[in-house]
Amino acid sequence: MQILANLKYILLLVLTIIVPSGILSAQEISINGADSVKLPQQLTNKNFLSEEVTTGYTVQRMRDITGSVSFVEPAMLTAVPAGNVSNLLQGRASGVTVTGSGRPGETSKVRIRGFSSFLNNDPLYVVDGVPTQDISSINPYDVASVSVLKDAGAASIYGYRASNGVIVLTTRHGEKGINVTYDMSMGIQQPGKGTKPDLLDTKEYANLQWLVYKNDQTVETHPTYGYSGNPTPSIPTWAGNTDWYDAITDASGIQNHNLSISGGGENAKFYAGFGAFRQNGIIIYTDNTRYNGRLNSQFRFFNGRLRAGENINVSSRSYLSVPNLNEGSPILTGPYRSQSIIPVIITQPISGMTHDFVPGEWGGTGIAYRLGNADNAVADLTRRKDDRSRDTYMTGSIYMDIMIMDGLNFRSTMGGTSDKGFTTNNTYATYERSENIGTTSLEKSRFRNSDWVWTNTVTLDKQFGQHKIFAVAGFEAVSYGLGQIISKQDSIKCTPTRLASSFISANYAFKDKYLLGAAIRRDGCSKFSVSQRYGIFPSFSAGWRLSNESFLQGLKWISDLKIRGSWGKMGNQFALSPQNAVYLFGESIGASYYDLYGTFNSSVRGYYPSRIGNPDAKWETNTATDIGFEAALFDSKVSIVFDWYSKKADDLLYNPPLPGTAGIGEAPYVNVASMKNSGIDIELSYQNKWRNLGFSTAVILTTYNNQITSIADGIRYFDSGNSRIGTLVRNETRHSLSSFYGYQVMGLFQNDAEVTDAPYQYGAEPGFFRFDNLYDDDEIDPGDITFIGNPNPKFTYGLNLAMTWKNLDLTAFIYASKGNDIFNSTKWWTDFWSSYQGQKSKNLLYSSWTESNKDATVPKASNQSNFSTNTQVCSYYIEDGSYLRLKNLEVGYTFPKNMTYKIKIRSLRMYLQAVNLFTLTKYSGLDPEIGGNDLAFGIDYGNYPNAKQFIFGLSLIL
Amino acid sequence: MNINNMKANRYLFFIIFGSSLLFYSCGKDWLDVRPKGTVDQYTLANKEGIEAILVGAYSMLDGVTEVSYIDWGGASSNWLYSEIRGLIANKGTDAGDSWEGQSIIHYSETATNPMLNTKWRSVYEAVSRCNCVIMVTKQALAEGTISQDQADLFIKQARTLRGWYHFEAWRMWEMIPYVDENTDQKMLSNTEDIREKIIADMQQGTSLPHNMGAIGRFNGTVSKVLLAKALMQMNHDYTGALTLLADVKANGRKPDGSPIGLAPTYGEIFDIVNRNGIESLYTVQYSVNDGSGGWNGGYGEVLNFPYKSGGSPAGCCGFFQPTQEFVNSFRTSGGLPLLDFSYNDNPVKSDQGLKPSDPFTEDTGPLDPRLDWSVGRRGIPYWDWGVHTGSDWIRDQTYAGPYSPKKQVYKKSQEGIYTETGSWTSGYTANGYRMIRYADVLLLLAECQIETGDLFSALANINMVRARAANPDGFVKEADGVTNAANYVILEYPSFPDADFARKALQMERKLELGMEGHKWFDLNRWGNTLEELTRVLDYEKTMPWGDNMYGSWTVIGPEDVTYPIPQAQIDISNGRLVQNR
Repeated sequence: MQILANLKYILLLVLTIIVPSGILSAQEISINGADSVKLPQQLTNKNFLSEEVTTGYTVQRMRDITGSVSFVEPAMLTAVPAGNVSNLLQGRASGVTVTGSGRPGETSKVRIRGFSSFLNNDPLYVVDGVPTQDISSINPYDVASVSVLKDAGAASIYGYRASNGVIVLTTRHGEKGINVTYDMSMGIQQPGKGTKPDLLDTKEYANLQWLVYKNDQTVETHPTYGYSGNPTPSIPTWAGNTDWYDAITDASGIQNHNLSISGGGENAKFYAGFGAFRQNGIIIYTDNTRYNGRLNSQFRFFNGRLRAGENINVSSRSYLSVPNLNEGSPILTGPYRSQSIIPVIITQPISGMTHDFVPGEWGGTGIAYRLGNADNAVADLTRRKDDRSRDTYMTGSIYMDIMIMDGLNFRSTMGGTSDKGFTTNNTYATYERSENIGTTSLEKSRFRNSDWVWTNTVTLDKQFGQHKIFAVAGFEAVSYGLGQIISKQDSIKCTPTRLASSFISANYAFKDKYLLGAAIRRDGCSKFSVSQRYGIFPSFSAGWRLSNESFLQGLKWISDLKIRGSWGKMGNQFALSPQNAVYLFGESIGASYYDLYGTFNSSVRGYYPSRIGNPDAKWETNTATDIGFEAALFDSKVSIVFDWYSKKADDLLYNPPLPGTAGIGEAPYVNVASMKNSGIDIELSYQNKWRNLGFSTAVILTTYNNQITSIADGIRYFDSGNSRIGTLVRNETRHSLSSFYGYQVMGLFQNDAEVTDAPYQYGAEPGFFRFDNLYDDDEIDPGDITFIGNPNPKFTYGLNLAMTWKNLDLTAFIYASKGNDIFNSTKWWTDFWSSYQGQKSKNLLYSSWTESNKDATVPKASNQSNFSTNTQVCSYYIEDGSYLRLKNLEVGYTFPKNMTYKIKIRSLRMYLQAVNLFTLTKYSGLDPEIGGNDLAFGIDYGNYPNAKQFIFGLSLIL
Repeated sequence: MNINNMKANRYLFFIIFGSSLLFYSCGKDWLDVRPKGTVDQYTLANKEGIEAILVGAYSMLDGVTEVSYIDWGGASSNWLYSEIRGLIANKGTDAGDSWEGQSIIHYSETATNPMLNTKWRSVYEAVSRCNCVIMVTKQALAEGTISQDQADLFIKQARTLRGWYHFEAWRMWEMIPYVDENTDQKMLSNTEDIREKIIADMQQGTSLPHNMGAIGRFNGTVSKVLLAKALMQMNHDYTGALTLLADVKANGRKPDGSPIGLAPTYGEIFDIVNRNGIESLYTVQYSVNDGSGGWNGGYGEVLNFPYKSGGSPAGCCGFFQPTQEFVNSFRTSGGLPLLDFSYNDNPVKSDQGLKPSDPFTEDTGPLDPRLDWSVGRRGIPYWDWGVHTGSDWIRDQTYAGPYSPKKQVYKKSQEGIYTETGSWTSGYTANGYRMIRYADVLLLLAECQIETGDLFSALANINMVRARAANPDGFVKEADGVTNAANYVILEYPSFPDADFARKALQMERKLELGMEGHKWFDLNRWGNTLEELTRVLDYEKTMPWGDNMYGSWTVIGPEDVTYPIPQAQIDISNGRLVQNR
């Protein structure tokens, strides 16, 4: 019997609940992969029904699992160079939506099956048994397995934070003998053509001013271009013709080195990994550098009845980042807001508006009038090139595992993390701007943060004839948020959160055909007052292996077929303030101090009511249902995993805005809102081999449909997504999170008669927007505002292709998002003359409405700023954000063993790789992959684009 | 060994262990985590604690607060809601800057305008702080930690502040809810007439002593003026106000006990060093470099500086540019203002459309000298910043005209001393908003005297104000310190032939004396001529070269523009208990 034959290592796996399965199996069963580097064909889900995965506190075989679990081959995490594990999950597991920009060091936004909370939708990460919110310190090369627990059947064992899904990572462990591997890659990143095709050069900008004069019938002497009655503007001699995108970007390097040494004997094994990763951003001076050291060891005593070990990871990170998706970002201040006429560096003396410039000084908006007020982005980036942030992050655990008897084990794990770091922020006095900073200052801030977890479990794994029982029970204590932040203004001691939990879960299998699972967890959390402190989260699941039934035995093409379903509840409290339950006064110099004695430069301490407490807040709960099947067909060449799910989040914590009359005290979170998500996850794969040709492909499809079902009594919506023209997003019941909200543009007014006949609209005139009069009355007013777009994709998918021919291999990975809208807020800056005197678009000059171009969609170029031009949120800014991107294309060659053995190398592979080679999209901005917070995302305020990368790499095993 | 027994025992162990885990509750105390680094109301129920909450209530007098980011929309100087709305100034800056402010000058603001919500939240945050003082004082009194006398002092200040903050809301919206320490937020209503409650609150402070030991507190004098303003504005109760103001004129003292009166010269009033000078009955006490990062330094007025760093103050942001009509009002004939508005037939010459290098001949006609303390214009020395050089101080002349604000602007020699350092701008200053100054009191008193038939006293009070303005020591001088910067001609009124004339003279005098100081639109509403007066000014401003860009041809003023709409967000939150006022 296969099961019995495998029982030995299953037991071993169970013994080491937190020690990962993949590596143990490597040592115990000696997976043949130890002798050769990972090949790209292993990047696909191979025979997944017989893999082991780490799930809640245990390791299980995929075939026994009744919950919905996706797992990601570790090799996929190293397929493309990236600073952060979260970026690498994109398109690799169904049900997981990942969005990230090209900014070095940025942690991508990972969402599992939509959204379950207004507060925090980050999944729970469990790294070697230690729950954490931050996996950016983990080196992808150290990862041995990744399991994504998606439904209640799989995740509710993690009760307290499982409602956003759980991602369980384990890191690699030692093997017998000595293994040394080295992987490296280095390459170059290209910024691409950027904004140049869309925005005006110096001469064009002057022509646009002439068009505005003509349209507005303005007569004046322009401070730079001369008298408006002249046939053409005159361009001054100091004028530059700067492509600001080009000025702030540069081709930049990326490199990655990883060395691992593992080994050991019968009773002691170790794995040591060292990683160095450095990515320079395409925006000048930005970079992210990470050094990692990991040591994992295991020891056996008393013939294996006692096992103990530790996992420790130390990473030192240093980065220089820039803001993204906001007004401080160089992408916005540079290309989208700076006129081309401004030289980056002055080349001739200029008697400027704010300063007499000499050659070699920075150019800027202070050179002359009407250059707007954007910063010289190159000057800013150069001045702050030493503003590094550094931190040292340690995470690890020690464990002890006692075999009480065959099939019954007790295990105790103590884990924790510690993060310490500081940031430096220089502000320099400027001279080149129209709005200058007067004084130079330096601000440093420090933080420290730590947490710990102590877990004790007992595991039972027994088979009685045809009955198989697998159960785990345990308790866990967690304390997190133990830290302090010290900055210029404050030294804040954080209020920590404590959790005490107990849980039990059991799986039962009869004849390997009928599978049942149940779990229950009880969590207590210090954030809640005594009466609301505990939450209980149960789940039930069942599976039926149809392929083992006699009526399907005849069908040879079905290798395995299992249907399964689950129902359960999961909880969430993560983003709730630890002070939510209490009523507090606070003090803040800028909010409550007053210069009572008229001193001019000091103020007397005062208090203000800072928080209104809610002792009644309780756990958010999420009720999830999942129905799915897994099939392996045609000798397991084809495999399908399908899941339909529905999640209903209730008692969502929300802080309904208090009436202004209650003051500005922080409103308490109350359990009022609810939300639902549903969708399907599909993972399809196919693999085959014909003589020298190997082929495999996998499609990972993710859909979710999110709907807010209620917010609070009497509250139908709340707005978010700030901009210069007000909030862009309305989160409203019966709509998805982050839906765009504004006037619907019907077109442009064509003539005066049309203006007169139309419902009254402030500022209406030919060439300006005509808004839809939805609330059919005689005026365009706030009643006519409606939903104009939705940034949630209809579906996203990853398509993976791999081929090998003899020693050559080829892989391609495509990621696509379909049906998501983008609010392109950069158009506000560039498509309206009156949106500050900054850079403008070619569309405004060449395609805007004029008497002779009445079919235009771009409104008339005018210095008028009013309701009918650029002061309202409207559908003009909405674009289709669908895209398809070739994330990876790689060709590799593995040298024949007889060649490499001569130079004492067991295996050697070299490859060439192109990352983000092309993107197919109709979106006009820099990059359609746009993040943002969950209450307002998909808004392009100028987005740091994902760069094209060209990489050379090699992997070798000594 | 009996394997089966062993097994059974161990399974039993498993079951007991498992189930005991599920119901254990050893974490009971361990899960009690008290918040760190904060205080609650019980620790504050004593003299020091209440004092600190009261300071918090005073600190809202500037209308802004860092927490919750109530910024210039809440500014108590009302440069936006009263001066710009009253067409003393326009929004200024360039076309795309601040659509919220834009819609207020277009008289097209809707209930969803976020500035209005900011103002609402500002005044009611202030009210809620006052209510906290009252609540905690009552608690401390009950616990015996403070004396009755001490409690009275706290409550009188808190209630006067509360009355004032409500009044501030009343003159914006009229239909407002009254919130005291007993109000159930779920039962709010704005349909009740709350004027008596406001007056009752404000009366509390009139019995406060003269000397409160700190210039930043309200005393009896301050409270009396505030009450008089409220009586005039809300009830047209000129008799009641007359008594209070006459008493203030005769016996008033500043909150530190020092005497009050007119400053010898006009311009010095607005110099930061004189912010608590003899003229100032109450100045909102701004402070800089106190660690607030500018939030205590006139955060609400930070936009209102000329737009040129280096040679001009602050460098940002070019808002609040005086209108041509306001500038023209300073034209005099025979030393007196032109009460029939004929000054617009002979407008003050500007450098509109000229570059600083283009030649410009200044206006030579007779002007009230207060013009050049109220408005920055080409050719006139601007504090100690040198001569205003025209369009290079202006962000976009084609959009907002040629003038700069001046009264709140700091001197060059004061930069870094009375302005915030280490910030993006020096526009955070200690130049506190002159909430009540003596000339305002005299003119309010004159108004009461006119309305009660005492034209003779009214004439005397108005002439007091004019006589001070006519002190040649206070004229703006050219660089030589001797020559007047323009042709200043100002004289006192010989007489008031009738009440109608006196009213016109009074109204003009408030415009000339108090322009750019946050009174205009409120004054018009009190006088009841908002619609006709603003339509007249707007019609004139539209004919300016920048008129079309600034106002659009379609801007009209309607009868509803005597209030602002109640913020829609507040109506929504109230679940319909608050109703729109128009």
